[in-house]
Amino acid sequence: MIEFSSVEYRHPNGVLALRNIDLKIRKGEVLAIVGENGAGKTTLIKHTNGLLKPSKGKVTAFDMDTNDESVANLSRKIGIIFQNPDHQIFSESVENEVKFALKNFGFKEEAISERLEWALNFFDLERYRTTSPMLLSGGEKKRLCIASVLAWDPDVVVMDEPTVGQDFIQKERLIKIIQMLVSKGKTVVIVSHDIEFIWPLQPRVIVMCGGKIIADNKAGKIFQERELLNKARIVKPQLQELSEKIHGESSGAFSNIYDAKQWVISKLKSD
Amino acid sequence: MQWIAQGFIFRRITSPFHQLDPRVKLLVSIELFTLSLLVGSLPEVIIALSGIFAIASISKILRRISRTLTYTLFFAIIIFSINILVGYPLMDAFVIAVRFLAIVGSTSIFFLTTPPDELELVMKWFRLPRDIVFAFVTAVRFVPVLMMDALQIMDAQKSRGLELQKGNIFSRFRRFIPILIPLIVDAVLRSGDLAEAMEARAYGAVKKPTSLYQLEIGVWGKVATILSITLIVPLAYLFLFLM
Ligand SMILES: Nc1ncnc2c1ncn2[C@@H]1O[C@H](COP(=O)(O)OP(=O)(O)OP(=O)(O)O)[C@@H](O)[C@H]1O
Ligand SMILES: [Mg+2]
Repeated sequence: MIEFSSVEYRHPNGVLALRNIDLKIRKGEVLAIVGENGAGKTTLIKHTNGLLKPSKGKVTAFDMDTNDESVANLSRKIGIIFQNPDHQIFSESVENEVKFALKNFGFKEEAISERLEWALNFFDLERYRTTSPMLLSGGEKKRLCIASVLAWDPDVVVMDEPTVGQDFIQKERLIKIIQMLVSKGKTVVIVSHDIEFIWPLQPRVIVMCGGKIIADNKAGKIFQERELLNKARIVKPQLQELSEKIHGESSGAFSNIYDAKQWVISKLKSD
Repeated sequence: MQWIAQGFIFRRITSPFHQLDPRVKLLVSIELFTLSLLVGSLPEVIIALSGIFAIASISKILRRISRTLTYTLFFAIIIFSINILVGYPLMDAFVIAVRFLAIVGSTSIFFLTTPPDELELVMKWFRLPRDIVFAFVTAVRFVPVLMMDALQIMDAQKSRGLELQKGNIFSRFRRFIPILIPLIVDAVLRSGDLAEAMEARAYGAVKKPTSLYQLEIGVWGKVATILSITLIVPLAYLFLFLM
């Protein structure tokens, strides 16, 4: 659906940020991109909606070459939620912030108010409807940004560091939201350093290092490879660690904390 | 846009000229500036410009200074047209326009070869009040930061369907509001953070703080000073009275 073929990208200052990227993002999958700071993750996702054009190679999204399409056109299908909410919030009310993109994409008046209601409800922002978004807390701003993108219902949702500044409850909710999106047939791409957040989603994981993709596999497989994790400076997810301690290496891990808890309780009871 | 942003970002290069004492660089810049001001005929303009480009090539900033001058060309063309319109002869109008390029080029030499910390030392050497020096240098330092912010904001808004290139001038201006507001808010927040961080590290706690770096002219600085003065004085005399 989105396809990178031998993509290379050089920043205007000469930094080579992507080297020889071959990647197919498939419909309906959850793809997590991990890797150390400066590995090129943000640069990679900016290619999906044409914000950056490859210096070499080709990126196609929904059978369109990103070189020939406007960012607005591609964004209608591929919604990117950036890391820093302060880089997008500008409206005088939360309501208008959500409406901004809907207007840009030419939604009809009725559709706008319908999507707005959905977004405010779903993200628990109803009571801030007329508040200035600048007055929201960091976490709430982030939620507003996610809402303002999901409002136009893109087919692919790309999130750059969605968990920064979010408390535990919000992270859990974000996981629920991602699962809901997937159940609706959406494709979700997550850039994150937060391994514990990614783990319950059991996504396909690509590991980046120095502008290259050095591994591409199921989460369960990737997080077993100690050397790879060291190279990409990633700490093993705790649930993986725990299940390896209990069941030995190469066994399947607990997919979430509740399963692990269940297992421990039943173990204690039976002993 | 990226391309413009890059033009403002100071990059550390090592060249014989960069290594000179910042006061010497300032002197050379002022000398070239004076020369550019005195220019009144075609050969003089050529001499002044070649002086600027000679220094630029020693400092390995030819590309960057050419970029600056490319932007300035826009204004030079306006100056040229106005002069023609008010009835100057072609050659005079041309010289005046190119002189403007030379003036900009000579000032850029100093700013493209002097990092903010050296700038700070020079301003202190002139005994400017410390707070003013700090404010000025911080402003200079933050230009590239704000540029990068602006780029990220543009990315975020373009991803929400904002099309900057569309429509007439008026609607284009309106389209910049979603970029300008976050940029300004961000700058204000950042300055607040900076002020707190500075105070937390005892900025202003003592009247006369010590400085880690001391300015020192050095042998090459002296050579450059003498050399540049012996070149400039006769040239200026020539420009003023003989040519
Ligand atoms: N606008 C830019 N101009 C020049 N170089 C850049 C620019 N943006 C990023 N880079 C460089 O490109 C490389 C990749 O940066 P990128 O932002 O894609 O990394 P990242 O994996 O997202 O890192 P992080 O985890 O810190 O967000 C880095 O070396 C960075 O310095
Ligand atoms: Mg990043």
